[in-house]
Amino acid sequence: MNEYLVLVVEDDKPIRNLITTTLKMNDYRFITAVRGREAVMLSASHKPDIIILDLGLPDIDGVEVIEHIRTWSDVPIIIVSARSEDRDKITALDKGADDYLTKPFSVDELLARLRVIQRRLMKSENISVTEFVNGRLRIDYASGCVHLDDEELHLTPIEYKLLCLLAKNVGKVLTHKYIIQSVWGTPADNSEASLRVFMATLRKKLSDSSQALIQTHIGIGYRMMKL
Amino acid sequence: MNNAKLFFKDLSVCLVVLTAATLAGYAFKAFHLADADIIMLYIIAVLVISIFTSKIQFCLISSVVGVVLFNYFFTYPEFSLSAHDAGYPVTFVTMFITAFIAGTLANKLKRNILIAEQNAREKEEAALLAQNEQLRANMLRSISHDLRTPLTSISGNASTLISGGDTLDESARQQIYTDIYSESMWLIGMVENLLYATRIEDGRMQLNISVEILDDIVQEAVRHTERTHSKRNIIVDMLDEIIPVMADANLIVQVIVNLMDNAVKYSDENSDVTVTVRRENAYAVISVSDHGTGISDEEKEKVFDMFYTGGSRSSDSRRSLGLGLALCRSIITSHGGTISVSDNIPNGTIVSFTLPIGEVDLNE
Repeated sequence: MNEYLVLVVEDDKPIRNLITTTLKMNDYRFITAVRGREAVMLSASHKPDIIILDLGLPDIDGVEVIEHIRTWSDVPIIIVSARSEDRDKITALDKGADDYLTKPFSVDELLARLRVIQRRLMKSENISVTEFVNGRLRIDYASGCVHLDDEELHLTPIEYKLLCLLAKNVGKVLTHKYIIQSVWGTPADNSEASLRVFMATLRKKLSDSSQALIQTHIGIGYRMMKL
Repeated sequence: MNNAKLFFKDLSVCLVVLTAATLAGYAFKAFHLADADIIMLYIIAVLVISIFTSKIQFCLISSVVGVVLFNYFFTYPEFSLSAHDAGYPVTFVTMFITAFIAGTLANKLKRNILIAEQNAREKEEAALLAQNEQLRANMLRSISHDLRTPLTSISGNASTLISGGDTLDESARQQIYTDIYSESMWLIGMVENLLYATRIEDGRMQLNISVEILDDIVQEAVRHTERTHSKRNIIVDMLDEIIPVMADANLIVQVIVNLMDNAVKYSDENSDVTVTVRRENAYAVISVSDHGTGISDEEKEKVFDMFYTGGSRSSDSRRSLGLGLALCRSIITSHGGTISVSDNIPNGTIVSFTLPIGEVDLNE
């Protein structure tokens, strides 16, 4: 039996069935909620390890659910939204959601997202404050050095800031807005374009052209994967 | 333009034109030309003012000012508003009336032209609107017709499974599952295109353009295609440099996905589908090529038309709404790019499109 307990919040019955069937077949434990308030209550009483949350709920907005839960818990939240709700998705990520699934999604995608979260949960158990290691990448925070295997990388101050920000939030999708605010402070007109170029050069230096380490989420933001 | 600004513009037009007329009057006088010629100058000045100012009041005022100026500068005694010759008052009144009537007519003419222009514009807009309505109507008809087929298959197959699933053997059941899956995947792709097609207004796509990295867009499209078509070798041939383009990223991803879908649909299993990125002056050129049956020259001209489906040529019996390439063209032209189709060697098709390269002013 899988040790993870998943809370599924979805008002549409066929989709809820699809998600719970998938969870059952892959040995996850799960509980379900149909409404937002119910979800907030269940996440307080049952302390789930992962929450899958539909944004369009009958009583309160999914974003509101995230805000409530984030006041006391860091539990990873995967939001589920329809194609046309790009803006809602970004708001939800900014409010503290970790990842998103866009309807229609495949079962494989759902399982992949769950695995990303699980890898992150395992990682945070042996967290180190002075060093970050992820696959071939190693960041030494104290000396500000970045290594790929044994080779030292020469990053510009901005690239280093970006990399540290992604590393600190490994496994989590960070929105453009969040990254710009964290790295530049005040956003300027050319911030988004600059961010894209810096990410592209950073990715080149990390030899990550296949986006295995840093994923681009078009129109949303970026994420460092836990390798 | 706001009212005060317009007023000052009109006022300066009056001042400049009347000053010019007065200066020209002095030149006339130097050549000993008659008073009548100088009066003509002021009438011309009023005509010019009527055409270039917005209100009829300026015509009226400049007619009066013209008479006063003529009186002040050109009638004896000069530089005074009195006139000794007994005929002058009549001259002044005639001059004023002539100038004012001429000015009013010129003003009216100008208005008529503006109204005619506006009418023409409105007519054009109405025609475009009608064309869009026609397009939308055609699209809806075509869609509701073509969506029925996969929906019939999905609902029929599902109902078979519900009522008599146990009596079927494993391979028959497996076939039904596969059919339901592939039909719904087709619907998903179609709905995606439809969603983007609704963003076409006035024949143009509503865009959300920003500087995007071409590499990100291509990778996203390739990932999407690999998920749905695992039986093709997808080769990506990119330049090593970072190419910023001016694009609505989601739409361009959709264009590349559509082109790759076509490439897959019209070529054999396990054949290569290649995405190539090149740079040509101020444009990035993205090409998708396959080794399929190719497209005849005659058909090349029609493939970008809305609802053109390539007749019976498709190598498998997959349906198509003929929406894909038309949508692609609509997206690319709205980006200020071009899209074209050519032959691959030795066989197959290449579809290429261009996107303007973006400028980035780095925020270090």
